Amino acid sequence: MIRQAILSAAVALFGLWSGLSHAQWTPDIEAWNSPQPEQVDAVVFRNATVWTADEAGVLENTDLLVRNGRIEAIGSELRAPRDAMEIDATGMHLTPGIIDAHSHSAILGGVNEASRISTADVRIRDVIDPESINIYRQLAGGVTAINLLHGSANAIGGQMAVIKMRWGAEPDELVIDTAPPGIKFALGENPKQSNWSNDTPRYPRTRQGVAQIIREKFQQAADYQRAMDDAPRGRAARDRVPPRPDHELEAIAEIINGERDVHSHAYRADEMLALMRIAEDFDFTIRTFQHVLEGYKIAPQMAEHGVGGSTFIDWWAFKYEARDAIAFNPALMNESGVLTGLHSDDSELARRMNLEAAKAVRYGGVDEHEALMMITANPARQLGIGDRTGRLAEGLDADLVLWNGHPLSVYSRVEQTWVDGRRYFDREADQRMREALAAEREQLMALVLAEGEASDSDEGASTDADDAPELLAQHPAHASYLTGYRPSELAYDEFCHAHEH
Amino acid sequence: MNTKIQATLAATLLASTLLAAPASAEVLALTGATVHPVSSDPIPDGTVLIEDGRITAVGSDIVAPPGARIIDLDGLHLYPGFVHPASQLGLREINSVAGTIDTAEMGSVNAALRAEVAFNHDSMLLPASVAGGILSAHVVPGGGLIQGSSAVLELDGWSWEEMVLKAPVGMHMEFPPAAVDDENNEDLARIEQVLDQARHHLRASEAARAGTAPAPMRNDQLEALAPLLRGEQPLFIRANRYDVIEKALDWAQDQGFEDLVLMTSPDVQYLAERLARDGIPVILQNVYALPSRRWEPYDMAFVAAARLAEAGVQFAISDDGNDAANARNLPFQAGTAAAHGLDKLSALRSVTLWPAQILGLGDELGSIEVGKRASLFAASGDPLEPMTRIERVWIAGAEYDLMRDPGRRAYERYRERNRQAQGR
Repeated sequence: MIRQAILSAAVALFGLWSGLSHAQWTPDIEAWNSPQPEQVDAVVFRNATVWTADEAGVLENTDLLVRNGRIEAIGSELRAPRDAMEIDATGMHLTPGIIDAHSHSAILGGVNEASRISTADVRIRDVIDPESINIYRQLAGGVTAINLLHGSANAIGGQMAVIKMRWGAEPDELVIDTAPPGIKFALGENPKQSNWSNDTPRYPRTRQGVAQIIREKFQQAADYQRAMDDAPRGRAARDRVPPRPDHELEAIAEIINGERDVHSHAYRADEMLALMRIAEDFDFTIRTFQHVLEGYKIAPQMAEHGVGGSTFIDWWAFKYEARDAIAFNPALMNESGVLTGLHSDDSELARRMNLEAAKAVRYGGVDEHEALMMITANPARQLGIGDRTGRLAEGLDADLVLWNGHPLSVYSRVEQTWVDGRRYFDREADQRMREALAAEREQLMALVLAEGEASDSDEGASTDADDAPELLAQHPAHASYLTGYRPSELAYDEFCHAHEH
Repeated sequence: MNTKIQATLAATLLASTLLAAPASAEVLALTGATVHPVSSDPIPDGTVLIEDGRITAVGSDIVAPPGARIIDLDGLHLYPGFVHPASQLGLREINSVAGTIDTAEMGSVNAALRAEVAFNHDSMLLPASVAGGILSAHVVPGGGLIQGSSAVLELDGWSWEEMVLKAPVGMHMEFPPAAVDDENNEDLARIEQVLDQARHHLRASEAARAGTAPAPMRNDQLEALAPLLRGEQPLFIRANRYDVIEKALDWAQDQGFEDLVLMTSPDVQYLAERLARDGIPVILQNVYALPSRRWEPYDMAFVAAARLAEAGVQFAISDDGNDAANARNLPFQAGTAAAHGLDKLSALRSVTLWPAQILGLGDELGSIEVGKRASLFAASGDPLEPMTRIERVWIAGAEYDLMRDPGRRAYERYRERNRQAQGR
């Protein structure tokens, strides 16, 4: 009876919202309950300060025209189609959407498959949670694309997924289909299990061991590839047992063949040098080091190898191997010609990556526009999606953020976040959502209380269930024992840093 | 004298004048900067005079006395050092290495523990904090129920004994969350039992002093609670969830604790009216938090400070205290609160003057005013902005060598090395 009443109330409210036009789009905290924002045919932002994260630099008093999800033109006093949505951005700043190259924010199930030293066969793509509230909250911080990675418990982790923040779409629809395949590696304290114990004793225990097991896996994969290539085909294959397919070695072989990029968790200079040399022996390039805390110590070698650096700006001292992490690391890597980006690795930090970029100005005097590139264009290039997103330039996807002030200022807020020309976050709509939710809560509470009274008089006896409404009525918004979070929304890499979330 | 020796000598002299504490007679005049007293309006092209580690004059028309050492800070901005309202700096070094962590003792009752005696004055985290403008910190214990007493220390000195500005600051207690809906909660019963024992012990000691009874057996744990029970020391009570906070406040008031400081989470915004009415100061631990509940607005933690300010609650902004290595990010938490409704001056005060006042050091720290400790820094701009650089620091009138920050040191070394590697 209660459930019925709640359901009908929810349906009634949902009906009310879905009837609104796109100009009045109102999100819900439940992605499935929220219509996808419409892709507007044409939108023109007028008179903004446009940070292109591209060669054009920062453009004052500039218009930007979006058509059918792509950026069509950037310039002054642009002519727009008659029916275009006009957004007055006077006094506001427009930047590319933020790209986070290291995230565990929307993953169903365990982030870590810690059982084996190599789990190259498992795929994040199979466990994307497209309805995670983290996606919405990160949109509210200007994030438009993230790289979902496995944890760092094993030297060779799983296959990653680069997604756009198309909150509430089908899991496969979030995946950026043009992103090159990638895989997570991990070096140092985590794969060697310095700070945790495994029920089943597992090799290795040292950094040498981590390097060695990776080398052996590459050798096995190369042998596997040769066996596959040499296996007879067609008529010659008759009466012959073909090589046994092995999904793990297949994924590793793809690395050697240049078909899969390695993004390796790494802290110390020694372990990064070792992995670069292994890669060179097998004739491929490591795509990025993730965290790369001592990258500044080997920045010239990194530049020579061609590996990118994707780092925290100032996390340090949480583990022994993070002792020498310095906030000047991005500035030093950048100066040495390493493609440098900043990542979050944390669902909360991901909401304010603009301030992490601001710290690159503080520590080492990186130019403001270049600092912004460290959270937009550079991570996009590291993930191989730089030709689609990460900059404001004609022909690129309309993934952009409207700020109410300087995008690196602590006093600025995100006003709107657009993905593929769809307005996925809008502060005004968010305010409407709060009002709608408050109204809904009040209605439901009234129904629940009425129902509680009715059943009290029906049955005479009080039950635990009957006590609950009373408690809720006392603290309507904050039922103490429920936070509503789903496990996937609290997922993180528990081996990555020792502090609690 | 060859030029090399001359240069070395000059460098040595420069270093010694930079690093030595000013002789007691010397007057230091910081001139040319925009002075931000925090307690009053900014002073363009202001002067601050410092003598004997204290501020002796602040203004725009101050003339430095003859013989004063004048430091020109043209183009920079002078601010009082940030006062960290609740940190584990000095007690915590490398989080994953147990041997470097002294934050949580065994057992549930540790009233006699004093945080300052385990404060590592040479922790590598201190220079990094100072380079971020954090010049003093309230160092708080953790773990258990009755946790011991806290201390405020200045972050430069040759031992904890000379760095302590105030100790003990107050007794710390974690309110057991399970006591909210359990009248027979064992943890709360244990706390009450210990407090009762301490009250008896106190009465017995007083009787002994009056000569009407024999002295009770010595008991450090119970005696440490005497200042709290006599009302001479505040109770810092820690509670995070909305309903736990409410219960904790009810309980503390039932117990007769009038001098309370609440250490808490952004949930505190839902109790702002009550805290304002009861005059209970708040240390807000963490603006950078995800909403406590899934359905709460994304900016729930960002707006908490503004809600407290609107209601008229006395508060300070802190981080969650666990990440001592990044205590230096404290000002940015205040900045984010300002992006979400708190006015900028209140945001600045919430990490300077207000924590000083809540910790009972309002006459010593937190603003650039005559009579206060000369612990201040010169920055390139607004220090709540992450883009701003902190250029020079003085602690109790002595200039601090920012190259003690391991980050800056490694930066200089490797910048030079990387340049050479690239043949530049």
